[in-house]
Amino acid sequence: MTSRGAAQLEPIVGRYFTTKVQDRDCRIYFEESGQGIPLVCLHTAGADARQFRHLLCDEAVTANYRVLAFDMPWHGKSYPPAGAYDCEYQLTTQLYVDTVRAFCAALELEKPVVLGCSIGGRIVLQLAHAHGTEFRALIGLEAADFQQPWYDTSWLNRPDVHGGEVCAALVSGLVAPQSPCRDETLWQYKQSGPGVFKGDLHFYRVDGDLRGRLGCIDTSVCPLYLLTGEYDFSCTPEDTLRTAASIPGAKVTIMRELGHFPMSENPGKFREYILPVLEEIRRAGS
Amino acid sequence: MADQLDAQLANKLRTALAACAVDDAWRGRGAWLQARVLIGLGGETLLLRIERGVLTLQDVRPPLTAWDFAIRGTAQAWTQFWHQPPPPGWHDLLALSKRGEMRIEGNLQPLMANLQYLKDLLALPRGVA
Repeated sequence: MTSRGAAQLEPIVGRYFTTKVQDRDCRIYFEESGQGIPLVCLHTAGADARQFRHLLCDEAVTANYRVLAFDMPWHGKSYPPAGAYDCEYQLTTQLYVDTVRAFCAALELEKPVVLGCSIGGRIVLQLAHAHGTEFRALIGLEAADFQQPWYDTSWLNRPDVHGGEVCAALVSGLVAPQSPCRDETLWQYKQSGPGVFKGDLHFYRVDGDLRGRLGCIDTSVCPLYLLTGEYDFSCTPEDTLRTAASIPGAKVTIMRELGHFPMSENPGKFREYILPVLEEIRRAGS
Repeated sequence: MADQLDAQLANKLRTALAACAVDDAWRGRGAWLQARVLIGLGGETLLLRIERGVLTLQDVRPPLTAWDFAIRGTAQAWTQFWHQPPPPGWHDLLALSKRGEMRIEGNLQPLMANLQYLKDLLALPRGVA
Protein backbone atom coordinates (compact mmCIF):
# COMPACT_ATOMS: atom_id res chain seq x y z
CA MET A 1 0.00 0.00 0.00
CA THR A 2 1.22 3.47 -0.81
CA SER A 3 -0.36 6.57 0.62
CA ARG A 4 -1.00 9.51 -1.71
CA GLY A 5 0.74 12.73 -0.84
CA ALA A 6 3.22 11.08 1.50
CA ALA A 7 6.32 12.25 -0.34
CA GLN A 8 8.63 14.33 1.82
CA LEU A 9 9.95 16.63 -0.89
CA GLU A 10 13.47 17.92 -0.47
CA PRO A 11 14.04 21.64 -1.01
CA ILE A 12 16.47 21.06 -3.93
CA VAL A 13 15.35 22.32 -7.33
CA GLY A 14 17.22 21.25 -10.50
CA ARG A 15 17.33 23.36 -13.69
CA TYR A 16 19.20 23.50 -17.01
CA PHE A 17 20.52 26.41 -19.00
CA THR A 18 22.86 26.79 -21.96
CA THR A 19 25.82 29.14 -21.93
CA LYS A 20 28.95 29.59 -23.97
CA VAL A 21 32.26 28.50 -22.49
CA GLN A 22 35.26 29.21 -24.72
CA ASP A 23 32.90 29.63 -27.68
CA ARG A 24 31.22 26.26 -27.22
CA ASP A 25 27.60 25.90 -26.20
CA CYS A 26 27.38 24.05 -22.90
CA ARG A 27 24.08 22.86 -21.49
CA ILE A 28 24.62 23.00 -17.75
CA TYR A 29 22.61 21.22 -15.10
CA PHE A 30 22.56 22.73 -11.63
CA GLU A 31 20.69 22.29 -8.39
CA GLU A 32 19.89 25.00 -5.92
CA SER A 33 18.30 25.58 -2.58
CA GLY A 34 17.96 28.42 -0.08
CA GLN A 35 18.24 32.16 -0.36
CA GLY A 36 20.74 34.81 0.48
CA ILE A 37 24.43 34.93 -0.32
CA PRO A 38 25.19 32.87 -3.45
CA LEU A 39 27.33 29.84 -2.56
CA VAL A 40 28.60 28.06 -5.67
CA CYS A 41 29.79 24.49 -5.05
CA LEU A 42 32.35 22.73 -7.27
CA HIS A 43 32.47 18.94 -7.26
CA THR A 44 35.57 16.73 -7.34
CA ALA A 45 37.17 15.23 -10.45
CA GLY A 46 35.16 12.47 -12.09
CA ALA A 47 32.09 13.08 -9.95
CA ASP A 48 29.13 15.47 -10.04
CA ALA A 49 27.10 17.92 -8.01
CA ARG A 50 25.24 15.20 -6.10
CA GLN A 51 28.16 15.40 -3.68
CA PHE A 52 26.50 18.52 -2.26
CA ARG A 53 23.01 17.12 -1.73
CA HIS A 54 23.36 17.20 2.05
CA LEU A 55 24.60 20.79 2.07
CA LEU A 56 21.69 21.75 -0.21
CA CYS A 57 19.26 20.34 2.35
CA ASP A 58 20.89 21.79 5.45
CA GLU A 59 18.62 24.53 6.78
CA ALA A 60 21.46 25.96 8.84
CA VAL A 61 23.12 26.75 5.50
CA THR A 62 20.16 27.55 3.27
CA ALA A 63 18.67 30.03 5.74
CA ASN A 64 21.37 32.51 4.75
CA TYR A 65 22.84 31.13 1.54
CA ARG A 66 21.52 30.40 -1.91
CA VAL A 67 23.43 27.17 -2.48
CA LEU A 68 24.09 26.29 -6.13
CA ALA A 69 25.85 23.14 -7.25
CA PHE A 70 26.40 22.49 -10.96
CA ASP A 71 27.61 19.53 -12.98
CA MET A 72 30.65 20.56 -14.99
CA PRO A 73 30.32 19.89 -18.74
CA TRP A 74 30.92 16.13 -19.36
CA HIS A 75 29.80 15.34 -15.78
CA GLY A 76 26.54 14.18 -14.21
CA LYS A 77 23.57 15.55 -16.17
CA SER A 78 25.61 18.12 -18.13
CA TYR A 79 26.49 16.61 -21.49
CA PRO A 80 29.79 17.30 -23.22
CA PRO A 81 29.74 20.62 -25.12
CA ALA A 82 28.12 20.53 -28.54
CA GLY A 83 30.47 18.95 -31.05
CA ALA A 84 32.93 17.69 -28.44
CA TYR A 85 32.04 13.99 -28.30
CA ASP A 86 34.82 12.95 -30.64
CA CYS A 87 37.45 14.95 -28.78
CA GLU A 88 39.50 13.72 -25.83
CA TYR A 89 38.33 15.62 -22.77
CA GLN A 90 41.11 17.49 -21.00
CA LEU A 91 40.36 20.07 -18.35
CA THR A 92 42.81 22.97 -18.19
CA THR A 93 43.23 25.75 -15.66
CA GLN A 94 41.83 28.31 -18.10
CA LEU A 95 38.89 26.15 -19.16
CA TYR A 96 37.99 25.52 -15.53
CA VAL A 97 38.21 29.22 -14.60
CA ASP A 98 36.15 30.16 -17.67
CA THR A 99 33.50 27.55 -16.81
CA VAL A 100 33.07 28.75 -13.23
CA ARG A 101 32.93 32.41 -14.28
CA ALA A 102 30.48 31.61 -17.09
CA PHE A 103 28.19 29.89 -14.60
CA CYS A 104 28.30 32.82 -12.20
CA ALA A 105 27.78 35.37 -14.98
CA ALA A 106 24.90 33.50 -16.61
CA LEU A 107 22.99 33.40 -13.34
CA GLU A 108 23.99 36.99 -12.51
CA LEU A 109 25.40 35.97 -9.15
CA GLU A 110 26.69 39.01 -7.32
CA LYS A 111 29.91 38.46 -5.38
CA PRO A 112 29.29 34.76 -4.75
CA VAL A 113 31.20 32.58 -2.36
CA VAL A 114 32.79 29.64 -4.19
CA LEU A 115 33.38 26.39 -2.36
CA GLY A 116 35.32 23.78 -4.32
CA CYS A 117 36.61 20.34 -3.41
CA SER A 118 39.75 18.62 -4.74
CA ILE A 119 40.15 19.95 -8.30
CA GLY A 120 37.49 22.43 -7.19
CA GLY A 121 39.73 23.35 -4.28
CA ARG A 122 42.70 23.77 -6.58
CA ILE A 123 40.78 26.09 -8.92
CA VAL A 124 39.62 28.13 -5.93
CA LEU A 125 43.28 29.03 -5.42
CA GLN A 126 43.53 30.20 -9.03
CA LEU A 127 40.31 32.21 -8.64
CA ALA A 128 41.78 33.85 -5.53
CA HIS A 129 44.94 34.63 -7.46
CA ALA A 130 43.45 35.98 -10.69
CA HIS A 131 39.87 37.02 -9.92
CA GLY A 132 39.67 37.58 -6.16
CA THR A 133 37.69 40.81 -6.43
CA GLU A 134 34.77 38.96 -8.03
CA PHE A 135 34.10 36.86 -4.95
CA ARG A 136 32.92 37.51 -1.41
CA ALA A 137 35.04 34.63 -0.11
CA LEU A 138 36.61 31.42 -1.38
CA ILE A 139 36.66 28.04 0.31
CA GLY A 140 38.97 25.25 -0.80
CA LEU A 141 38.28 21.74 0.46
CA GLU A 142 41.17 19.30 0.02
CA ALA A 143 43.04 22.10 -1.74
CA ALA A 144 46.73 22.56 -2.41
CA ASP A 145 48.92 24.22 -5.02
CA PHE A 146 50.36 20.80 -5.90
CA GLN A 147 50.28 17.24 -4.68
CA GLN A 148 52.43 14.25 -5.42
CA PRO A 149 50.86 11.79 -7.92
CA TRP A 150 50.17 8.35 -6.47
CA TYR A 151 49.09 6.31 -9.52
CA ASP A 152 49.32 6.25 -13.29
CA THR A 153 46.16 7.84 -14.71
CA SER A 154 46.35 5.67 -17.85
CA TRP A 155 44.57 2.99 -15.78
CA LEU A 156 41.44 5.14 -15.71
CA ASN A 157 40.38 4.68 -19.32
CA ARG A 158 41.43 1.55 -21.18
CA PRO A 159 39.37 -1.31 -22.59
CA ASP A 160 40.76 -4.10 -20.39
CA VAL A 161 39.87 -2.42 -17.07
CA HIS A 162 36.33 -1.31 -16.19
CA GLY A 163 36.59 2.47 -15.92
CA GLY A 164 33.87 3.03 -13.35
CA GLU A 165 35.07 0.23 -11.11
CA VAL A 166 38.72 1.22 -11.15
CA CYS A 167 38.00 4.93 -10.64
CA ALA A 168 35.86 4.12 -7.61
CA ALA A 169 38.34 1.58 -6.25
CA LEU A 170 41.24 3.99 -6.55
CA VAL A 171 39.48 6.82 -4.72
CA SER A 172 37.87 4.52 -2.15
CA GLY A 173 40.99 4.81 -0.02
CA LEU A 174 40.50 8.57 0.14
CA VAL A 175 37.29 8.11 2.13
CA ALA A 176 37.88 8.09 5.88
CA PRO A 177 37.16 4.68 7.44
CA GLN A 178 34.67 6.30 9.82
CA SER A 179 32.54 7.84 7.07
CA PRO A 180 28.96 6.56 6.78
CA CYS A 181 28.30 7.54 3.14
CA ARG A 182 31.19 5.72 1.50
CA ASP A 183 29.06 3.74 -0.96
CA GLU A 184 27.13 6.78 -2.17
CA THR A 185 30.34 8.72 -2.65
CA LEU A 186 31.88 5.94 -4.72
CA TRP A 187 28.74 5.38 -6.78
CA GLN A 188 29.29 8.75 -8.50
CA TYR A 189 32.68 7.53 -9.69
CA LYS A 190 31.17 4.29 -10.95
CA GLN A 191 28.69 6.30 -13.01
CA SER A 192 31.14 8.77 -14.52
CA GLY A 193 31.59 8.84 -18.31
CA PRO A 194 34.61 7.14 -19.91
CA GLY A 195 37.75 9.24 -19.68
CA VAL A 196 36.13 12.04 -17.70
CA PHE A 197 38.00 11.44 -14.43
CA LYS A 198 41.22 11.12 -16.40
CA GLY A 199 40.44 14.32 -18.30
CA ASP A 200 39.85 16.20 -15.05
CA LEU A 201 43.17 14.95 -13.72
CA HIS A 202 44.90 16.54 -16.69
CA PHE A 203 44.23 19.81 -14.88
CA TYR A 204 45.36 18.33 -11.58
CA ARG A 205 48.49 16.59 -12.76
CA VAL A 206 49.67 18.38 -15.89
CA ASP A 207 48.26 21.87 -16.27
CA GLY A 208 47.39 23.00 -12.76
CA ASP A 209 50.68 23.03 -10.86
CA LEU A 210 50.25 26.32 -9.03
CA ARG A 211 53.46 26.21 -7.01
CA GLY A 212 55.06 29.63 -7.09
CA ARG A 213 52.10 31.04 -9.04
CA LEU A 214 49.87 32.15 -6.19
CA GLY A 215 51.42 35.52 -5.47
CA CYS A 216 49.20 38.55 -5.14
CA ILE A 217 46.38 36.75 -3.33
CA ASP A 218 44.90 39.42 -1.09
CA THR A 219 42.83 37.78 1.62
CA SER A 220 41.74 41.20 2.92
CA VAL A 221 39.86 41.63 -0.39
CA CYS A 222 38.68 38.03 -0.63
CA PRO A 223 39.01 35.83 2.45
CA LEU A 224 40.37 32.35 1.74
CA TYR A 225 39.56 29.28 3.82
CA LEU A 226 41.24 25.90 3.32
CA LEU A 227 39.85 22.78 4.99
CA THR A 228 41.41 19.34 4.53
CA GLY A 229 40.49 15.94 5.92
CA GLU A 230 43.14 14.06 7.85
CA TYR A 231 42.51 10.85 5.89
CA ASP A 232 43.14 12.52 2.53
CA PHE A 233 46.41 11.03 1.33
CA SER A 234 46.03 12.59 -2.13
CA CYS A 235 45.87 16.18 -0.94
CA THR A 236 47.42 15.69 2.47
CA PRO A 237 47.06 18.07 5.40
CA GLU A 238 50.75 18.83 4.87
CA ASP A 239 50.04 19.85 1.25
CA THR A 240 47.35 22.27 2.39
CA LEU A 241 49.43 23.66 5.25
CA ARG A 242 52.36 24.22 2.88
CA THR A 243 50.08 26.02 0.42
CA ALA A 244 48.52 28.19 3.13
CA ALA A 245 51.95 29.16 4.46
CA SER A 246 52.59 30.97 1.17
CA ILE A 247 49.31 32.94 1.32
CA PRO A 248 49.17 35.57 4.09
CA GLY A 249 45.81 35.52 5.84
CA ALA A 250 44.66 32.11 4.55
CA LYS A 251 42.83 30.21 7.26
CA VAL A 252 43.42 26.47 7.53
CA THR A 253 41.45 23.77 9.30
CA ILE A 254 42.46 20.10 9.40
CA MET A 255 39.28 18.06 9.72
CA ARG A 256 39.42 14.97 11.92
CA GLU A 257 37.90 11.67 10.77
CA LEU A 258 37.27 13.00 7.27
CA GLY A 259 38.83 12.21 3.92
CA HIS A 260 38.88 13.68 0.41
CA PHE A 261 35.08 14.03 0.01
CA PRO A 262 33.96 15.61 3.29
CA MET A 263 30.58 16.98 2.17
CA SER A 264 29.62 13.68 0.59
CA GLU A 265 31.25 10.97 2.72
CA ASN A 266 30.31 12.33 6.14
CA PRO A 267 27.98 15.34 5.91
CA GLY A 268 27.25 15.33 9.63
CA LYS A 269 30.90 15.64 10.56
CA PHE A 270 31.59 18.12 7.74
CA ARG A 271 28.95 20.59 8.90
CA GLU A 272 30.75 20.89 12.24
CA TYR A 273 33.61 22.45 10.28
CA ILE A 274 31.87 24.34 7.49
CA LEU A 275 29.08 26.04 9.45
CA PRO A 276 31.47 28.27 11.47
CA VAL A 277 33.24 29.25 8.24
CA LEU A 278 29.98 30.19 6.53
CA GLU A 279 28.87 32.11 9.61
CA GLU A 280 32.14 34.05 9.68
CA ILE A 281 31.74 34.96 6.01
CA ARG A 282 28.14 36.05 6.53
CA ARG A 283 29.00 38.21 9.54
CA ALA A 284 31.90 39.84 7.71
CA GLY A 285 29.55 40.99 4.96
CA SER A 286 26.73 42.22 7.14
CA MET B 1 61.46 -10.38 17.49
CA ALA B 2 60.94 -9.08 13.96
CA ASP B 3 60.60 -12.65 12.67
CA GLN B 4 57.96 -13.33 15.27
CA LEU B 5 55.94 -10.27 14.30
CA ASP B 6 56.19 -11.14 10.61
CA ALA B 7 54.97 -14.68 11.35
CA GLN B 8 52.05 -13.30 13.37
CA LEU B 9 51.06 -11.04 10.51
CA ALA B 10 51.21 -13.92 8.03
CA ASN B 11 49.09 -16.04 10.34
CA LYS B 12 46.51 -13.29 10.62
CA LEU B 13 46.19 -13.17 6.88
CA ARG B 14 46.05 -16.95 6.58
CA THR B 15 43.20 -17.11 9.10
CA ALA B 16 41.22 -14.30 7.47
CA LEU B 17 41.57 -15.71 3.96
CA ALA B 18 40.69 -19.24 5.09
CA ALA B 19 37.39 -17.93 6.44
CA CYS B 20 36.44 -16.17 3.22
CA ALA B 21 37.66 -19.01 0.98
CA VAL B 22 34.42 -20.88 1.66
CA ASP B 23 32.19 -17.82 1.35
CA ASP B 24 30.05 -17.66 -1.81
CA ALA B 25 29.88 -13.87 -1.83
CA TRP B 26 33.65 -13.56 -1.83
CA ARG B 27 33.92 -16.27 -4.46
CA GLY B 28 31.51 -14.32 -6.64
CA ARG B 29 33.47 -11.10 -6.31
CA GLY B 30 36.63 -12.81 -7.54
CA ALA B 31 34.94 -14.89 -10.22
CA TRP B 32 36.62 -13.10 -13.11
CA LEU B 33 40.11 -13.18 -11.66
CA GLN B 34 42.92 -15.64 -12.20
CA ALA B 35 46.14 -14.48 -10.61
CA ARG B 36 49.12 -15.49 -8.52
CA VAL B 37 49.69 -12.75 -5.96
CA LEU B 38 52.91 -12.57 -4.01
CA ILE B 39 52.27 -11.01 -0.61
CA GLY B 40 55.17 -9.81 1.47
CA LEU B 41 54.64 -9.14 5.17
CA GLY B 42 57.92 -7.88 6.53
CA GLY B 43 60.23 -10.87 6.07
CA GLU B 44 57.42 -13.37 5.38
CA THR B 45 56.22 -14.14 1.88
CA LEU B 46 53.00 -15.88 0.91
CA LEU B 47 51.67 -16.85 -2.50
CA LEU B 48 47.95 -16.31 -2.92
CA ARG B 49 46.44 -18.14 -5.89
CA ILE B 50 43.07 -16.89 -7.04
CA GLU B 51 41.38 -19.15 -9.58
CA ARG B 52 38.01 -17.68 -10.52
CA GLY B 53 37.38 -16.65 -6.94
CA VAL B 54 38.77 -19.78 -5.30
CA LEU B 55 41.62 -18.89 -2.94
CA THR B 56 44.65 -20.99 -2.11
CA LEU B 57 47.39 -19.66 0.13
CA GLN B 58 50.83 -21.19 0.44
CA ASP B 59 54.21 -20.30 1.84
CA VAL B 60 56.76 -19.40 -0.80
CA ARG B 61 59.70 -21.76 -0.39
CA PRO B 62 61.04 -22.94 -3.74
CA PRO B 63 63.18 -20.56 -5.78
CA LEU B 64 61.91 -19.32 -9.14
CA THR B 65 58.33 -19.17 -7.94
CA ALA B 66 56.25 -17.43 -10.60
CA TRP B 67 53.72 -14.73 -9.78
CA ASP B 68 51.68 -12.11 -11.62
CA PHE B 69 51.91 -9.20 -9.26
CA ALA B 70 53.34 -8.59 -5.81
CA ILE B 71 52.15 -6.55 -2.84
CA ARG B 72 54.93 -6.26 -0.32
CA GLY B 73 54.62 -4.18 2.83
CA THR B 74 56.74 -3.58 5.88
CA ALA B 75 55.60 -5.16 9.14
CA GLN B 76 54.64 -1.70 10.35
CA ALA B 77 52.56 -1.12 7.22
CA TRP B 78 50.43 -4.24 7.75
CA THR B 79 50.20 -3.69 11.50
CA GLN B 80 48.86 -0.17 11.07
CA PHE B 81 46.72 -1.08 8.05
CA TRP B 82 44.93 -3.74 10.11
CA HIS B 83 44.44 -1.52 13.13
CA GLN B 84 40.79 -0.57 13.76
CA PRO B 85 40.46 2.23 12.83
CA PRO B 86 43.68 2.51 10.85
CA PRO B 87 45.54 5.78 11.37
CA PRO B 88 45.48 8.39 8.58
CA GLY B 89 47.95 7.65 5.82
CA TRP B 90 48.17 3.97 6.84
CA HIS B 91 44.58 3.08 5.96
CA ASP B 92 44.82 2.09 2.29
CA LEU B 93 47.18 0.02 0.14
CA LEU B 94 47.80 2.95 -2.18
CA ALA B 95 48.36 5.32 0.72
CA LEU B 96 51.02 2.90 1.95
CA SER B 97 52.50 2.72 -1.54
CA LYS B 98 52.64 6.52 -1.71
CA ARG B 99 54.46 6.75 1.62
CA GLY B 100 56.95 4.06 0.60
CA GLU B 101 55.81 1.44 3.12
CA MET B 102 54.42 -0.87 0.43
CA ARG B 103 55.63 -1.91 -3.00
CA ILE B 104 53.14 -2.95 -5.67
CA GLU B 105 54.74 -4.32 -8.81
CA GLY B 106 54.45 -6.83 -11.64
CA ASN B 107 51.64 -7.17 -14.17
CA LEU B 108 49.14 -4.77 -12.63
CA GLN B 109 46.28 -5.34 -15.10
CA PRO B 110 44.60 -8.09 -13.05
CA LEU B 111 45.09 -6.00 -9.91
CA MET B 112 43.56 -2.87 -11.39
CA ALA B 113 40.69 -4.78 -12.99
CA ASN B 114 39.81 -6.24 -9.57
CA LEU B 115 41.12 -3.50 -7.32
CA GLN B 116 38.30 -3.11 -4.81
CA TYR B 117 37.99 -6.88 -4.37
CA LEU B 118 41.71 -7.20 -3.64
CA LYS B 119 41.76 -4.15 -1.36
CA ASP B 120 38.87 -5.55 0.64
CA LEU B 121 40.38 -9.03 0.72
CA LEU B 122 43.66 -7.80 2.15
CA ALA B 123 41.86 -5.62 4.69
CA LEU B 124 40.00 -8.60 6.19
CA PRO B 125 42.32 -8.98 9.21
CA ARG B 126 41.50 -5.39 10.24
CA GLY B 127 40.39 -5.25 13.84
CA VAL B 128 40.92 -8.98 14.41
CA ALA B 129 42.83 -9.57 17.64
